[in-house]
Amino acid sequence: MRTSRQEVVLGILIAFEIVLFSFTGQNFLSLSNFFECIRLSTEIGLIALAATPILISGGIDLSVGSMMGLCAVGFGAMWHDAHVPIVAASLFALALGLLGGALNGVLIAYLNLSPLIVTLGTYSLFRGVAEGITEGSKSYSGFPAKFLFIGQGYIGSVVPAQTIVLLLAIVTFWILLHKSIIGRALYAIGHSAEGTRYAAVPVSRRLALVYLLSGLSSGIAAIVYVAHLGQAKSDAGTGYELIAITAVVLGGTSISGGSGTIPGTLLGLAAIVLLENGLRLSAWPTEVAGILTGVLLISTILLQRLFERHSHAEKAVKRESRSRDIAMVGAMTLTLIAVAFYSIYRHHSMRKFAAQEENGRRRVTIGVMPKSKGDPYFISCRIGAEKAAADLGVDVIWDGPTGLDAAQQNEVVEGWITRHVDAISVSVENAASISTVLRKARARGIKVVAWDADAKPDARDYFINQATTQAIGFTLLDEAARVMHEKGDIAIITGALTAANQNLWISFIKARLENFPNMKLVSIRPSDDDRDKAFSEAQTISKVYPDVRVMIVISAPAVPGAAEAVKQSGRKDLNVIGLSLPNLCKPYVHDGEIEAVVLWNTEKLGYLAVGAPAALARGTFPVGKPTFDAGPLGMLQVDGSEIILGAPMIFRKDNIDAFNF
Amino acid sequence: MLLEANGIQKSYDGVKALTSVSLDLRAGEVHALIGENGAGKSTLIKVFTGAVQPDGGEIRLHGDRVDNNNPARAHRLGISAIYQQPALFPHLSVAENIAIATGDEKLWRRVDWPTRVARAEHLLQHIGATISPDALVSSLSMVERQLVEIAKALAVEASVLIMDEPTASLGQQDTRNLFRIVRELRARGKGILYISHRLEELFEIADRVTVLRDGNNVGTRQIREVTPEELIRMMVGRELETLYPKLDVPPGEVALELRGVCCEPFEIRNVNLAIRHGEIVGLAGLVGSGRTQLAEALFGLTPISQGNIYIEGKGVQIRSPRDALQAGLAYVPEDRRHHGVILEMPISSNVTLASLNHFAKHGMLQRRAERSVAQWWKDRLRFNAPSVETLTKNLSGGNQQKVALARWLITQPKILILDEPTQGIDVHAKSEIYHLMGTLAEKGVAILLISSEMSEILTLSDRIAVMAKGEIVSTLGQKDANPDEILRLALGRKVS
Amino acid sequence: MKQQLQTTWPALIALGALYIYLAFAAPGFYSAANLRDIALANAALLLVATGMILVIVLGQIDISVGALFAVCSVTCGTLAKMGLPMILLPLIAVAAGTALGAFNGALVSFVKAPSIVVTLATMVAWREALRLVTNGAWIEGLPTTFQWFGFGQQIGEAIIIILTLLVFGALWWSSRNLSAGRAIYATGSDPEAARLAGIPTDQVAFWVFAVMGALTGIGALLNAVRFSDVPANSGMNLELKAIAAVVVGGTPITGGCGNFLGTLIGVILLGSIGPALIFLGVNPFWEKAIQGGIILTAVLLEAIGTWRGRRAVELA
Repeated sequence: MRTSRQEVVLGILIAFEIVLFSFTGQNFLSLSNFFECIRLSTEIGLIALAATPILISGGIDLSVGSMMGLCAVGFGAMWHDAHVPIVAASLFALALGLLGGALNGVLIAYLNLSPLIVTLGTYSLFRGVAEGITEGSKSYSGFPAKFLFIGQGYIGSVVPAQTIVLLLAIVTFWILLHKSIIGRALYAIGHSAEGTRYAAVPVSRRLALVYLLSGLSSGIAAIVYVAHLGQAKSDAGTGYELIAITAVVLGGTSISGGSGTIPGTLLGLAAIVLLENGLRLSAWPTEVAGILTGVLLISTILLQRLFERHSHAEKAVKRESRSRDIAMVGAMTLTLIAVAFYSIYRHHSMRKFAAQEENGRRRVTIGVMPKSKGDPYFISCRIGAEKAAADLGVDVIWDGPTGLDAAQQNEVVEGWITRHVDAISVSVENAASISTVLRKARARGIKVVAWDADAKPDARDYFINQATTQAIGFTLLDEAARVMHEKGDIAIITGALTAANQNLWISFIKARLENFPNMKLVSIRPSDDDRDKAFSEAQTISKVYPDVRVMIVISAPAVPGAAEAVKQSGRKDLNVIGLSLPNLCKPYVHDGEIEAVVLWNTEKLGYLAVGAPAALARGTFPVGKPTFDAGPLGMLQVDGSEIILGAPMIFRKDNIDAFNF
Repeated sequence: MLLEANGIQKSYDGVKALTSVSLDLRAGEVHALIGENGAGKSTLIKVFTGAVQPDGGEIRLHGDRVDNNNPARAHRLGISAIYQQPALFPHLSVAENIAIATGDEKLWRRVDWPTRVARAEHLLQHIGATISPDALVSSLSMVERQLVEIAKALAVEASVLIMDEPTASLGQQDTRNLFRIVRELRARGKGILYISHRLEELFEIADRVTVLRDGNNVGTRQIREVTPEELIRMMVGRELETLYPKLDVPPGEVALELRGVCCEPFEIRNVNLAIRHGEIVGLAGLVGSGRTQLAEALFGLTPISQGNIYIEGKGVQIRSPRDALQAGLAYVPEDRRHHGVILEMPISSNVTLASLNHFAKHGMLQRRAERSVAQWWKDRLRFNAPSVETLTKNLSGGNQQKVALARWLITQPKILILDEPTQGIDVHAKSEIYHLMGTLAEKGVAILLISSEMSEILTLSDRIAVMAKGEIVSTLGQKDANPDEILRLALGRKVS
Repeated sequence: MKQQLQTTWPALIALGALYIYLAFAAPGFYSAANLRDIALANAALLLVATGMILVIVLGQIDISVGALFAVCSVTCGTLAKMGLPMILLPLIAVAAGTALGAFNGALVSFVKAPSIVVTLATMVAWREALRLVTNGAWIEGLPTTFQWFGFGQQIGEAIIIILTLLVFGALWWSSRNLSAGRAIYATGSDPEAARLAGIPTDQVAFWVFAVMGALTGIGALLNAVRFSDVPANSGMNLELKAIAAVVVGGTPITGGCGNFLGTLIGVILLGSIGPALIFLGVNPFWEKAIQGGIILTAVLLEAIGTWRGRRAVELA
């Protein structure tokens, strides 16, 4: 099989990445990092491998990520609720995958519907069913160690266990696509499905097969994912379909069908994984990886076109376009060189800075991770964290997923372990899934602190608790009761149905409700942390449930949305009690739509999120003592392994202006 | 003098397509352009329409030199081309298609629908087409689309009209109609460059004829001063033996029998037909009579609603092309480029596509076997191509057809259905295919030949079935068959 | 037009069924306030979906609209905060959207890159770049003239709805009656034939994406002025909703014809599901599943509709 130009270009790109990141990324060029990359790429790899024959046949499958979610949840439910043995539960998950694949297959292959639209529909449907079954929030964990080994264990203490799965998948798809007659039929179908039909090839059967395989792959990926994270939740695999398609297209597969290879897909996958990993180890923020992936994709297409035009063009056109093409190639090469130089320069200046000695001590590096970089709540925590970094003279790497993403949190921590930071400080999205990797960090001598939301107690040194979830839940409801004189209906608007701590708060609100017999909870609606959606939900709630007096809104971005809805409705008998940032709510608090904002001092929380691990790393933390001197924050209580910031704060009209975050 | 080409040269990747071609077209003349495939006709047309730039030589229109020709420019200058595959917009109406062709609407202007429709109405009536101007092109038949193309050309009032195989998908009636229009255009002073492989047509419609061979103009003659044999000799460069070799093959047992076959959606009714081993049965009829639809139904591409099919006496259920193949049928489709071959794949892949199972060991494709078998067929059928790895899209029409044939011959069919097998193919290749058919008949293959070329069907068939409006109206023996009788039957008048 | 009506009926039936059911099960849905709120919440979606019709007619697709939406929202908010007079904001919104759309268009038309890949890349790149630049911070402290363009809620709402319908209507009319509009249909129907007919297909493609961007920009602004601050990550899943509305409304994904009426119905349908579920007391956890089900049902119905009279399914 001839190596296509695309594969050569990718090879050069990967080599470039490896060389660049070996300079700028700490411990990038190590065996353990290499295997970590393989671990990271297994789940995506399974999906990308299955996506390759689909794209080659001229189709597309956008439902793979959602299928993962459904299979994960099915697996968890079978094992946990139905007490089915783990092997049988796994088979059930695979069967679900096949079923989903069959649905796509029948609609696309036999009914001739557009693959884009069908899989767009199943993309919603599968994820929706997963969310529906688990009511969005249920997550299964506590799987037996033997099972978790698939995703977390090492063979010979170096090779991650899921490598075997990946290798098997690679071999299977390679044989299918490049060696078997089915593969040949798929390429023909991709070029012309109609023409292939006339050649007495069972086109529908072949197409149905690739979608079936895709569903199966998603099922397998789901099992590996669950074993990797230790939890099965409906949001498994979110966004994977796009990464997979990016990898496949990067690898030279044409969207219109008829061309593409498995080695190409693997190279495309490698390029993306190495990019993300290398950038992380070089302490670039995660957004850069996203931007560069986009740039990479576009550059790939440009190059593809360049080569095509060059070979097909007429001589006259060639002469004209040659100078244009040279200009393009020149521009791209210069850009790459510029990027390389800048990265190396940046790395060196960071290293110089880091190597500074301060009072004879080496500069401490702390990795601080919020649950979601985009949430205004965490943005205000960051201000505190950076202040602490300046005060204490430590280097803070502030990084994390851009949305709620337990899997990505794991990846970030893995990167920090490879980089060998001094301490890790995490606001945990899901305790079960992150604890394994945190334990690994501790085993390597890295100090681990959790803040805002806890990991498993044995996975971290300390937990910074701003206020107990119970206190928060109770306070919210008490405020609501106060406003509505303990009589009437309430509704709750939460963030994502899958957010763990929000669900905890809800459970405490419900518990506290029993103290108020004349109050009733009529509805809980998600806002997906989207201001506009919260606005709509609040509007509709106020119409459907006219007896609602208070809406308790527990997602920071959602509160102003709900408040705006109340404002625009003109109703004076409806109020919002929110859990949000003062700045977002000030106008509404003054105006009267929001009666009270419950929170705690997020800047203090952020400050402590750096202060505590810094002290631990430097060895100045008073282990075993009941108090901790947190500098400008004063003396804080230490209860076992919990550092308590204080009670929730309530911001009202009279005091909210004093705060600026 | 309307259009002149002087010393046109054109090479593709070092291969000379046109060596030095000079040609002239006068106003008020129908100038036929003939030549084998690969002789350079399409390249020359592309030079005229501006789709391609010549490496040397010049074009003159009305005596003025035309430089830097491109499709838009040629269009504006009044050079119009009508191709075999109508370049129409399927989702748009007939009126809109015509209007876009005239291209005189500024981009930001408001569209004048009533005028568009009226003009289309006028043009369509003029050419005797009963098509509604509001009809979407996707709902039209091939014939109707061809007529719309002609209406377009009329609308544009081109001075030079290039017609590339215009009668390829037309039946007798429509061909006569077309000729009437062509003569009218000629009377109006247009210059028509007429490309066709059907020599008898040229003698009917053309004034002069130019023969191209291997990228050269080997001669331009007045049509009345030349005979078909001379033309063939000029095209081929040597005497061709009998064009139509008809061997007498004693027919064997009945290979294929259709009894009361109906195909509801296509209004195919009550088809009764029997073909014996070694027999060539011609299926004649006007375009739209349902011949291709019948073939596709036999081959399992569309379901049969009623009736029975018997292969060698045994009843068979054919629900898919695969069933048909397994029953011993093979079908070489009419649309060569889209159904006969897959253009983007190499010759070897195309040849083996219908018989992949035979090239597989444990499901794994044996590429070496594939290559050698493809090579064998390449030699046997004489594909003109550098190797079996050449992409099929780079072959000429005739060679593509050979690849399509090879694909089906590999399957060693008992019954071979050929649908317009020599459409758009030069004389030399045609002859090769006829010889092939004869050899197959000798070997006992039962052949159903669907063709619109009267001479072809008359000379090759042992029997001729005539189809009209979805039914077989009559079957004629070779002795009884003549063009008039066939035409009469095709028009729907049954034998008494 | 007749053909348009033919493909509209699945969406129409679905919408009719839903609304009739609501009339019995939850008549509160039919308050003027509720219908007005649904209209406001989906005005931006209608504009984006309108642009999407043109893109799909052309035979392309654009999944970067959500990211474009977010960038335009933030741009408008930032400039308003810096003191730019409100009257200039619509121009800014259109300019920003057009620029971003033009970038997509340039790659699709002049480099001939497949639109799904281009817009996939730009979707990721713009979202991440926006996040990097804003750090996720919302734009607060906007001048009081920002919300409702300073005209107050009643007038502001009227402006949004009327403007949206005007733009929608204008584009519908143009697609039918302007040569430029017909050029889009021609190009989408058969790009090669269009090229030969002298239609500048490259430019057509470029401008369609640019217009898509402009419409997204306007939609972003009209949505942003409903509030008094601008979040950093709006427009999530907008591309999915827009494509769904267009497809459910009967526009084939293969290009060549577009159904404006159907898209309007599709937007209404998809925009009504959320509120309808609340009114009907349905568990919110099933919303996504229902959305997916509607898309699949619509496509199925469309297929069944065109099935009759065409060749039957090959069950090989």
